[in-house]
Amino acid sequence: MRRSARAAGPALLAAVVLAWTLIPLVWMLSASVKTELQLYLRPPRWLVVPPVWDAYRQVLFQVPFAQYFANSLVVAAGTTAGAMVLGALAAYGFSRFAFRGAATIRFLILMTRMVPRIALVVPYFLMMLRLGLLDTYTGLILAYVSFALPFTIWLMIGFFDEVPRDVEEAAFVDGCSRYRAFRDVVLPLAAPGLVVTGIFAFLLSWNEFLFALILSGVRSKTLPVVIAGFNTDVGPLYNEMSAAAVLVMIPTVILTLVLQRHVVRGLTLGAVKG
Amino acid sequence: MERYARGGLPWLAPGIAFLLLIDLFPLAYAVVISLYSWWLVRPSDTRLVGLGNYAGLVTDPQLAHDTAVSAVFMAGAVSLELVAGLFLAVVFARRARIFDLVRPVILLPLFITPVVSGTMWRLMFHPDLGIVNYYLRRIGIAGPPWLSDPGLAMVALVLLDAWRTIPFMFLVLHAGIVSQPHEFFEAAMVDGAGSWQTFWHITLPLLRYIMVVAVLIRAMDAFREFDIFYVVTSGGPGTATETIQMLNYRIFGFGRVGLASALSTLTLVLVAAMSLALLRLLGRERTA
Repeated sequence: MRRSARAAGPALLAAVVLAWTLIPLVWMLSASVKTELQLYLRPPRWLVVPPVWDAYRQVLFQVPFAQYFANSLVVAAGTTAGAMVLGALAAYGFSRFAFRGAATIRFLILMTRMVPRIALVVPYFLMMLRLGLLDTYTGLILAYVSFALPFTIWLMIGFFDEVPRDVEEAAFVDGCSRYRAFRDVVLPLAAPGLVVTGIFAFLLSWNEFLFALILSGVRSKTLPVVIAGFNTDVGPLYNEMSAAAVLVMIPTVILTLVLQRHVVRGLTLGAVKG
Repeated sequence: MERYARGGLPWLAPGIAFLLLIDLFPLAYAVVISLYSWWLVRPSDTRLVGLGNYAGLVTDPQLAHDTAVSAVFMAGAVSLELVAGLFLAVVFARRARIFDLVRPVILLPLFITPVVSGTMWRLMFHPDLGIVNYYLRRIGIAGPPWLSDPGLAMVALVLLDAWRTIPFMFLVLHAGIVSQPHEFFEAAMVDGAGSWQTFWHITLPLLRYIMVVAVLIRAMDAFREFDIFYVVTSGGPGTATETIQMLNYRIFGFGRVGLASALSTLTLVLVAAMSLALLRLLGRERTA
């Protein structure tokens, strides 16, 4: 009796937490499958039977959504690749070599996380303008790799540290160069951690808004800019905005569920391990 | 370890060169630009004005107002998140089964595109099609026009930030509590300490370091927040919810790159000062 009463409190709280988290999501999902008229019906309809797919049709075929989706994918893939290559090399260097100032350099790299990104808006804009990189994938990818690199390095140092040195030593004895040992022995062993790191980099790029707003244009526009753009002069197009938002959300939900157990570590960039 | 003392540099060089070129160089460049009166529309009028841009900014009441808005948002959001996150972390600390159940769901807001979360908020708080005011009316409260009221627009933004990042506080503090040594609690129980006493005298002091780190990270992120302001209120009504970041974006939008860079530089100095202060606090915590 007492036991069940003690469990009831946390269970109730869990229900509240789930409702608080899910209600905005479900309301948006529901808005995306309604007609404009149904949106304004009172009492609100949470469930629409049958669902109306007009907003999705509008978004997918009227707006060149596929193009923007491709833009977001290309930029995110480029960011992930760039951050992974540079990050893996640097992290391996930190993990396997002891040298003067290593701790300071690591710390300074982490501190770049604190730089308010708005401080980079003007110089990036002018640089990209001069280099002819405005409204290109390259311009966005360069910016995003620099945002992703600090945490990529920090996460990967942790993952490389977990790979035992003996394995590499054995490879050296067999006549492997350090680079080959890194590529053929260490990288495969650290692969699961590298995937986690890659997902974080991908999500950073997928979700980024400010620089996409400033550096991209008609050709390279990414999805967050498209959603914000549904705010038209005649007022927001709520159904279509919701439908687009749902489509953008799907990959993030899937990747988040993949990440699960690594989230705390990634979010604090190793800071909680302290 | 000694064997490897040399040879690290070639591995680090590409990444560090990239960060210097794409992160540090632009920051320095911004400082240089900030010394010029430079309007993109009339490049021929560009001239050196020294600290003129800074002088203009610090005497502008708009900057004082926007700084206050940023500070209110930061303080409101972070304190709400800390209290709620701590509460959840403590309640779910020894309840692994329930925690495992809610975790996948509460992770979602952390990674959903901020612009998408902003979209949800506009749907929730809309005076006609939103559900917040509908259900308020059902319990007898006439719902205000949230996003067009200066004070309530800020409340809505703080709630949105809380929706997105209470999970962060919760998860980080939960990880901290779970890793606390069991013996302390058992000893306290043996001594007959109640759960409130245990929390106050054992859990909280042991958690202090992690709490300071979490607050530091969150405070910096809240200060830099841009996306949800842009999507939910665009700084409105009027400039009631305009933060320093939004002001900076607005100045940039006018093409006043010299002035915008001066504001960026001020922001950078402010953030650096806050980071140092918090880090010093952290250093004290650690030795304490």
